[in-house]
Amino acid sequence: MIYIPTIGIECHVQLKTKTKLFSEVDNDARGKEPNACVSPVDYALPGMLPRLNGAAIKYAILAGRAMNCKINPYSRFDRKHYFYPDSPKGYQITQFYHPIIGAGWVELPSGTKIRIEHAHLEGDAGKLTHFDTYSLVDLNRVDTPLIEIVSMPDIHSAKDAHDYCKELWRLMCYAGVTYGDLYNGNMRFDVNTSVAEEGSEQLGTRTEVKNLNSFKSVERAVEYEIVRQTKLLEAGEKVVQQTLGWNDATGKTSPQRSKEVAADYRYMPEPDLPPIHLTEEFIATESAKLPLMPADYRAKFGEIIAHDTLEILLDYPELMLKLNEISLQTGLAADVVLISNLFASVLLAEEKSAEYLNDLPSAADLAKLADMNTKKELSSTATKEVFLKMFDPQMKGRGTEQIAKELGLIQENDLGALEAIVDTVLKKPETKKAQDDFRAGEEKVIGFLVGQVMKESHGKANPSAVQDILRKKLA
Amino acid sequence: MEVDVSTIKHLARLSDFRLSEAEEESLAGDLKSIINYISELDKLDTSGVEPTYQVFEMENVWREDEILPQDASREELLALTKEEKDNQIKVPKVL
Repeated sequence: MIYIPTIGIECHVQLKTKTKLFSEVDNDARGKEPNACVSPVDYALPGMLPRLNGAAIKYAILAGRAMNCKINPYSRFDRKHYFYPDSPKGYQITQFYHPIIGAGWVELPSGTKIRIEHAHLEGDAGKLTHFDTYSLVDLNRVDTPLIEIVSMPDIHSAKDAHDYCKELWRLMCYAGVTYGDLYNGNMRFDVNTSVAEEGSEQLGTRTEVKNLNSFKSVERAVEYEIVRQTKLLEAGEKVVQQTLGWNDATGKTSPQRSKEVAADYRYMPEPDLPPIHLTEEFIATESAKLPLMPADYRAKFGEIIAHDTLEILLDYPELMLKLNEISLQTGLAADVVLISNLFASVLLAEEKSAEYLNDLPSAADLAKLADMNTKKELSSTATKEVFLKMFDPQMKGRGTEQIAKELGLIQENDLGALEAIVDTVLKKPETKKAQDDFRAGEEKVIGFLVGQVMKESHGKANPSAVQDILRKKLA
Repeated sequence: MEVDVSTIKHLARLSDFRLSEAEEESLAGDLKSIINYISELDKLDTSGVEPTYQVFEMENVWREDEILPQDASREELLALTKEEKDNQIKVPKVL
């Protein structure tokens, strides 16, 4: 019997607004003390009312458009009630009945399309730290704006689950709505997995693995659940519908102790927040701010940049922006190819690459580098060297040509000048024997002669041009 | 809608209230009469009437995304809690 897995994923994305979703307090708690970014609204003090952050609505439009989703002109908020110390209000403000983002789809690098059911705005909960006899509550994260993205159950392998999460991350980073810092939980994934006999009309009983924060853990957790559930079914047992936690160290899922006996959220319309009614013009204006997305770059550069290189570079929106700028400036595919290879094989291999990404050389300087390489003014080794120096705090900003000159790396291509150097070398007595040997048909001594010319030129001659001249003169 | 002591027990558990049996009895009675009173509205024919979510004709009440000084400091807010530890709110162990 063959079992087919079916996976649906809910993803929470923290938005990078300056303030929280419902109050004018600092939303950026990175590196700050517990409860330093907290307002009376977060404490749900009596009489405190939520005030909706307009930037979150604009980010929601961008996030939605990044996933080819319809933006709903009418949306509103609801209260989802639960009693837990991470939420002083006793409810979460979310969009249960009328979400702002409607149906859409995300295309994976493989070409597979995963449909988006909907996505909505909501406030995050606080953070709990558990100790032996008590728990501590930090409300910094309370009402950080989140977009929850709900996929259709269109995913059928652990690999696609991984790729879907990664693509979502890319889309949200390109759209500029999140810092995308996975390590600090800026994006978190809840994964629903079930398996069913091949050809079955009905899906199997699903389990939900909550709160995964890396693509790798999503892939491993799904893989584990597929195997676990398939084994159960093969043994004639049943899968129990339950919420599971994932342990990265053991590589296993295990049942989570539930917060409540039964989930009964008693949704009701949020009376403190008037509905959102977006005009077509507003949606169009905000949507137009969406920059190029990974799919746009694949369409634009897929033919000229190698697939694997492009997929690596797509993890870095800054690099794709720069390549696009170069492409717009020079219109030369060769320039884009050369710089993309330098980005992938030289820049990203550098220990300080993360630092460098924040301060890339200008597109004009990079285009000049590609140009000098094309004109053979720089050898491929010299091109790499100049490229790296463009990030050097001592060197950067001086312009490509200046850096190349200072390093003495510009190749001599002037045929007249090269001929003069070749002549000098050929007049030297120590090259006499090699010249005779070459004329006598000993092909490999040409290397020795080229080497002598290179030495004479202090390494600046273009070796292939030198060889051409030598062959002519020795013919 | 059926309202009895088990409804009260369920709601109390969801909200982590501890009620005495006498309180459960009396609240069940109160809630039942409230629900019955409101249920009179069910007799009205509301077919074709849009659901009312709010009685003010307001929409799109947004604010700018600018940080403003808060009326209460972290210390003042923490002082309102029953117990604090290391700048955090200390609560009975959960989970």
